[in-house]
Parts: sequence; structure tokens; C-alpha cells
Amino acid sequence: MFQSESIPSHEPTQRSTDPSHGQHRPTVLELHNVSCVYGGDRPAITDMSFAAQEGEIVCLLGPSGCGKTTTLRAIAGFEPVTAGKIRLEGRLVSAPGHLVPTERRRIGMVFQEYALFPHLRVQDNVAFGLQHLSAGERATQVRVMLEMVGLTDLAARYPHELSGGQQQRVALARALVQKPAVLLLDEPFSNLDPDMAGRMREDLHDLLRRTKTTAVLVTHDHDEAFAMADRIAVLNNGKLEQLDTPEAVYHTPSTPFVADFVGQADFIPGTIEQDKVVTEIGEFPNQPGYSGGDNVVVMIRPDDVHIAPLAQSTTHILTRQFHGSENVYTIGLPSGRVVHSSEPSTSVYPVGTPVELQVNATHTVLFDRDLHQ
Amino acid sequence: MNQATAVKSTLPDSLSLVALTVAGLLCLPLVYVAYMALTADAALWSRLWTTRIPELLFNTTALALGVAAGTLLLGVSLAWLVSRREFPGRCIWEWALVLPLAIPTYVLAYIYSHLLGTGGPVESAWQMLAGPDNRLPSPHSYAGVTLVMTLDTFPFVYLLARAAFLNLNVSYEEVARACGASRAGTLFRITLPLMRPAIVAGLSLVVLYVVSDFGAVSLLRYQTLTYAVYQQITGRYDPTAASILSLLLVAIALIFLVAERWFRQRSRFFQTTGRYRTPARRQCGPLGATLASLYTISVFAASFGMPAYMLATWSVSAISSGAVDARFFGFVWNSAFLSGLAATCAVLIGLPLAYLASRRPSRVNLLCLQAAYAGYVLPGPVGALALLVIFSHLAPFWYGTAAVLVIAYVVHFLPAGLQSMEPALQQVTPNLEEASRSLGFGTTATLRRVTLPLVRSGFIAAWVLMFLQSMKELPATLLLRPVGFDTLAVRVWLEASEEYYQLAAPSALLIVLMTIPAILLLLSKDWRAA
Repeated sequence: MFQSESIPSHEPTQRSTDPSHGQHRPTVLELHNVSCVYGGDRPAITDMSFAAQEGEIVCLLGPSGCGKTTTLRAIAGFEPVTAGKIRLEGRLVSAPGHLVPTERRRIGMVFQEYALFPHLRVQDNVAFGLQHLSAGERATQVRVMLEMVGLTDLAARYPHELSGGQQQRVALARALVQKPAVLLLDEPFSNLDPDMAGRMREDLHDLLRRTKTTAVLVTHDHDEAFAMADRIAVLNNGKLEQLDTPEAVYHTPSTPFVADFVGQADFIPGTIEQDKVVTEIGEFPNQPGYSGGDNVVVMIRPDDVHIAPLAQSTTHILTRQFHGSENVYTIGLPSGRVVHSSEPSTSVYPVGTPVELQVNATHTVLFDRDLHQ
Repeated sequence: MNQATAVKSTLPDSLSLVALTVAGLLCLPLVYVAYMALTADAALWSRLWTTRIPELLFNTTALALGVAAGTLLLGVSLAWLVSRREFPGRCIWEWALVLPLAIPTYVLAYIYSHLLGTGGPVESAWQMLAGPDNRLPSPHSYAGVTLVMTLDTFPFVYLLARAAFLNLNVSYEEVARACGASRAGTLFRITLPLMRPAIVAGLSLVVLYVVSDFGAVSLLRYQTLTYAVYQQITGRYDPTAASILSLLLVAIALIFLVAERWFRQRSRFFQTTGRYRTPARRQCGPLGATLASLYTISVFAASFGMPAYMLATWSVSAISSGAVDARFFGFVWNSAFLSGLAATCAVLIGLPLAYLASRRPSRVNLLCLQAAYAGYVLPGPVGALALLVIFSHLAPFWYGTAAVLVIAYVVHFLPAGLQSMEPALQQVTPNLEEASRSLGFGTTATLRRVTLPLVRSGFIAAWVLMFLQSMKELPATLLLRPVGFDTLAVRVWLEASEEYYQLAAPSALLIVLMTIPAILLLLSKDWRAA
């Protein structure tokens, strides 16, 4: 079983480093066994632990109601914690009975709906958090920031005169101009149409890298998390299911929930016999370190399964969905189960074609069958 | 464009003709007053300009500004307290602070005239403390009227500000905090500026109310334009001079209305969108909770608690001395009969106007609806003046009958009713009517079977509202009532003018008691949504 990445166990009082990575980047944000209880509409979180290093982008990924926004709001200081600790730049900011107010946490926040102050012009929105500076210094910083997000021409506009993508860039500029220790982004792309969201993702990623900003991004969209994150924290029912790189989360999910949530997956029952896993679509090497029962399910992703027409085969194509860059086939197995296969855009076979399956999983992902149900 | 629309707009059908006629008649008083004023002798104008007008304009404006400032302070601070702070009894005060709306200004004025007057309980208490020679400033003054009007009208600002506090997207405040602003900084730099449209709407209601008020200023003898119009009609019977003052009054009201519309138009983008989260109420500490309770309780006591208590005790002694007799029930019947008739007529008249404006919003139909709002800028004495002159010229045999009074009520209160009828109609999507038509029902059958059942509650609310306002109405009733035909409101005013406080109490209490459930009923609709 894959374990969630462990949190550095030493007590990081000052800007600590994470020895497990071998890189000496200071840890900016740490959550230690954080729990929030909430009456009403907001989901609780339990025993949440993770850390983010300087310049790292961490995505909190999960379905709605999993507690990802609550986690973000706890980091921002909008929600008190009932157990555990949150440290920002080594400073204890949240613990039971201890809550450093938001305005003294050095965080930046970008809301789903951007929350641009409608009564202020773009430049005044961006300058809002710079009250402590002289007017000249403020103007300079605002100009530099607007240049960076490419909004120099729109500085004198009001928010309602901007498009969705422009509004988002203003929100980003307003948060980044304060040079926050951590930038918190709550579903930042969900109000944009898909094309715009794709472009903004690239721009944002580029901007965060250039400004070396540490960011925590909340999303329910695994593609967005894959595109943006250095590491992804998958949340379910208020608990952290897995914290890993995007590749590891996709290829070696640690729970069936993660496997299912981050992409299409089929779960084929099998049994462990000696060091092999026997299933109706073939035999697989046992997963190293697997310690559950002998009745298992094997996770298969559509891109691991390839098909080739074979007249005497007992498996055949049930449906084909054309997705542009690929064809996704549903294959009926003799047992009545189905498995999905992703084929190149040009490989078109009619429904009903008997096919042979070639499963080339680079690594076997097993789950105990009792736990899976 | 297709032919059907062209034909429809050039050939108004019978409903449109009805609407046009009604709208014309509703505008007639306003037009007539303007005509009288503008055709008046120039000498009269200049005499008024040099004698009365400067003082009246100054008094009216000063009163409006003073009350606006007072209600702004009370309304916004109380709204902030109940929507952002948690303290014992908060949910009770949140409701209770609306109750002052149930007390007509002339009732509150006469109670304060007694409380603060020479030899009243407050002055006696003060003289016990400070010695028998110390006098308090008279309530018959600018300060007195301002106090009474502020206590009576602050709920307008309170209600709208409270709704704005609760409806504000909390993300704005959170993002301000994330940008390093403190709680107080966030309140003054973000929350209050975003609430400006709601606050301005509340203030403009207050100002319109103050400018057209007759009850309080007449009982406290404070010279405003409205009071002067009344005096010109009753004291000197000089309708021309009255019409000139009326025109000024209407102009002031119009300026306020137009300014408010303009401001609302300009700040339309203030509409907050996106994910809604209820703002959290912060728990007050012991000291904060004490101060908050003290403040809320004293405002409530001054504006409703104590007046209601005084009315109750006076009423008890009035009843025990036999004041509630057959004559009293005659006044109750007069009030109920007149108000019921007026409210029913107004609903029937408003229906075609609101229906056409929402279903066939052509320029003519929208104009008809706007015309019906003319009564808004027509303070009671002005409307009464117009009807008085019109009827005495054109139909003298109608003059002095209850019918004239009913017409005055309809003209004056239809706008308030329309504000409830219009949204009710707009909420019914035309698709429902079209579905009914497609199922084989004609226009009339559709109206009866689909539209009317759906808009019923909005129309009932409009009826109740207009009924109550007619019942409370004072100046037009005083001027136009048939001889010997007194209503509850008139009785309160007449007795209070003679300082028969106890005799006035039963009628006043009855008005207040009838108004309370209606106010709560009307509010409960918007309350939860807010």
C-alpha cells in the first residue's frame, strides 16, 4: 500500500527544511493534525497534515463537501481549528484557542468569484492592501504588478467593465502585490469558460513560478490539479487520502477513492496466487509491499488497455465514444463486466467487433476486495 | 419587424384605453395644482417669495436633513449590531426595532408633546434633580420634531441596511482582511461603501416621508411647506397661494426621487454576485453585550415601548371613564368603511396598469404606470387641495361626500400598492399564461384561472397596505371629510390638538394594534430572504 507522504517529524520552530526531499527549500506552510468542526453548511476536516515549501504549488483536490475549502479557510484564518496547529513561515497562527487574525498572516486570497471591490477602479483594487506605503511607492508597485499580469491599459476601469479572465487577473494582482507568504486560490478557474480556463491556467502557473510564490489551490477538477500542482492532496470526507506528485496520484493511487477520482478507472476482481494476480483479463505481477487479503481488485486505466480485432475472441466492443484526440471503447468481458480502452483518434472499429485485450500496466495497483466494496 | 407588434402598438385595445384613462385621471390632481400655481398672479408669487417661502423652505430642508442624519446614525448602527454581533435578546430586538413603523407620526408627536412638555413627566423628573426653576427645551421646536420624526422613521433605514448587511457577499470582507485591513477598516472602506445604494434608498424614503408629513409638524407647531399648505386652505381659504406652496413641495419631492433614481442607476454594478455565505455574527463580551443591549433597548423604548405603554394606560383610564361608546364605534366603522372602499378601488384600478406594464411593456403602457406613481410626490394636503378645487368647480354636488375622500386615498396610496402588485405580476412568467392559452383558454379565462390565483398574495398584501395607510391618513381626511364624518385618525388629531391625551388614546391604540400584524406580515416575506 502506498503511504501518504510523511510530514517532517521534527518540530519546525524556525523556517525549517524538509529533509525527505533532499532540497533545501524552507517550509512555508505546515498543517499538523488539523481538525475543524463546523455546524451548518461547511464540512468538517479531521486530522489534516501537510506542508508546502517555498515556491511550491499544492493542490487540494476532492469532490464538493470534502473539506478542501474549509482547509483553505482555516489556513486563511477565517475558520478556527479545534485541534492541531497551523504554522505560516514558522509562526504558529492557528491552534485551539489561538487564532492570528487574517490581516496579520501575510496571506493572499483569490476567491472563486474574485470578489473585486465593485466601487474601486482596477488600480485601487490592486492598491487596497498597500495602505502602509507612500503614495508614490504604492503607484509604482501597482504599475509593476499590472504590467506583470498584462492589465496596464485597464488600470482605470471598474471591475464590471472587465471580462471574466481580466477580473481574475486583477484578483491575482491584488493578492500578489502584497508579496504574500502563501497565495490561497479557491476554485480560481471555475467561473471561466473552458478555453479561457486553459489559457489562464498556463498564465497563472507561469506567474507563480516567476514570482516564486507558494500557493495552495483548491479544485474539484483533476485535470486542473495535474496541470498546476507540484503536489496534490486528495481529500475525501474531510480526510487526506493521498499527498503526492500528480504522476504518482494518477498511476499509483493509494485508495480506490483516489483511483476513481483522478481519472477513469476499472476495477477487475482477481486473486493472489503465489506472486501473481490472476484475473479474467490476464495475470499481473503482485504489487510490491501489498499486505491485504488474497481477494483483490486490480485498477486498470483506459490508457493501459489496448485492443486489436480478433475474430474468435469472446470479448467485444459495446460502445465507442469519440473524444477528438482519442476513442474510448467500452469492452464487454465474458463475465459481463466491462473495461475501458483508450485508442488513438484514427483507430475506429464498429460496435460489436470481437477484440483481443492487451493490458500493459507498468505497475500493478491492487486493493483489498473487501475494502473496495 | 413583424406586423403583429406594429398593429398592437398603433391600435390600443380596450384594456389599454382603460389604463390610459385611469392614468390620466390619476395625474389630473398633480397637473391641476401645477396649472393653478403657474397661472397665479405674479404679485402673489413675489409676495410669497418675500414672506413665507424662504422660511418654509429652510424649515423643511433643515427638518429633512436633521431627520436623515438621525435615521442614518440610528438605522445603520442598529442594523450593524443585529446583523454582525450576537448578544442576549438579539433576535427579539431584530424584530422589535421594526415596530415604530406602526405608530403614526401624529400619535408619537402627541405622546412626546405630553412627555417633554411643560409640566410633563420628564420635566418634573428633571426638576426633582436640578431644582424647580430648571426648564427643558420645548418639544414644540425644531429639535422636538426632529426627535419624533427620527424615532418614527429610522426603521426604513434600519430595514434596508440590515438586508444589505445580510446580503453582502462576505468574500469582499474576507478578501479585504486578507489584504491586511482590520475589522474596522473593512467596515468603513468596504462594507459601508458597498451598502450605499441600500442606505440611500432608505434615506430617500425617510426624506419623502418627512417632507410630506403633516401630523407631527401640525401637532408640534413647526412650520413646514406641508403644514403651510394646510393652513392656507383652512385658515385663509387661499387655494392659489396653497397651490404655489404645493408646487414647491412637489418639486422638492421630485428632486429627491430623481436623485435617488439616478444614484441607483449609477450604482447598479454594486450588485454582488457569486457564492453566498452568511456573514457570521461575532459574540459580544460581557461589556459589549451590556452596551449593545442598553443601546437597543433605549432606542426601542423611546420609539415604541414607552409610547405603547402610555397609550395603553391612557386607554384603560379612558375606557373606565366611558369614552369607548357608540360614538367611538361609529368612528371605527367610518375608518374601516372608507379605507376598505379605497383599498378595493385601488387594487381594481392598479390591476390593468400593472398588468399591461409587465406583459406589454410598450412605451405608452410604461408611461401609464409611471403616471400612477404621481401620487407619490403628492403630499396629503396637496392632493386634497387639488381635489377640493377640481370638485368645487366641476362637480359641486359631489363635493363634501365620502367619494371625494376615497378618490384622494386612491391617488395618494396607489403607488404604495403598485409596488407590491407589480413584482407579483412580474414573478409570473408569461410562459404560464402562454401554456394556458395553448391549452385552449382565452385571455379572460387565463387571467381568471392562472394569473389571478398566482398573484393573489401580492395583491392581498397591496390591499392590506393601502387599507392601513388610508386608515392612518390625516391631512386629506381633515380637509375633505363630509361634515361630522370623523375617522379614528381625525379623532386622535382633534383630541390631541386640544391636549385631551386620554381621550385620544383608544383611537390611537386601535390604529397601532391594527397596523402591527400587517407590518409583521409584510415583512415576513422579505425577512427570510434577507
